[in-house]
Amino acid sequence: MNNRIKEFRARYDLTQDDLARKVNVRRETIVFLEKNKYNPSLKLAFDLAQVFSVPIEELFIFEGE
Amino acid sequence: MKRGILIFILAALVLIASGFWIFSLKSNLDFRELISVPIILLIVLFAVFIGIKRIKSMKRGQPAEDELSKKVLIRTASLSYYVSIYWWLVLGFFSDKLTLENHTLIGIGILGMAVIYALSWIFFNYWGLKDE
Repeated sequence: MNNRIKEFRARYDLTQDDLARKVNVRRETIVFLEKNKYNPSLKLAFDLAQVFSVPIEELFIFEGE
Repeated sequence: MKRGILIFILAALVLIASGFWIFSLKSNLDFRELISVPIILLIVLFAVFIGIKRIKSMKRGQPAEDELSKKVLIRTASLSYYVSIYWWLVLGFFSDKLTLENHTLIGIGILGMAVIYALSWIFFNYWGLKDE
């Protein structure tokens, strides 16, 4: 699964720290998400989509197996 | 915050206990003891590093723990448990060949487990949990 968190974060002019505070996770988690080293829980995925005011499928791209 | 402080207290206790152990030795450090000291120091440094990470996170207004850190801990515990079984098997195999006292063997086993845990944590913390 890929995501566009970095792209949206730049669009909203947010630092990794800002975004982490908004969704109540550590900055390291945002770093891992942006590097595609971690697939978030459904709750975190929804929280991130809510911060950027986009549907979840616009932020996360499922590529199948 | 409490857990962060607890990590520092535990690290200090380990250092104090190791200090007492070293000063209580009647003769000079032998080879096994010379190897044990840096390993203990590495484990304490690892604990302090984790404690500092937690406090830095909290100072930035972020939680000390989140879903990723909890999953990393769970995966670390499971992998290190699995590898530790093999570690004790290897020790059991070599215990016949080496002339080690029982308490020394148990000490080596416990130190090895701590090192395995630290290495597993580093593995998951830097390679990530992509397929979770």
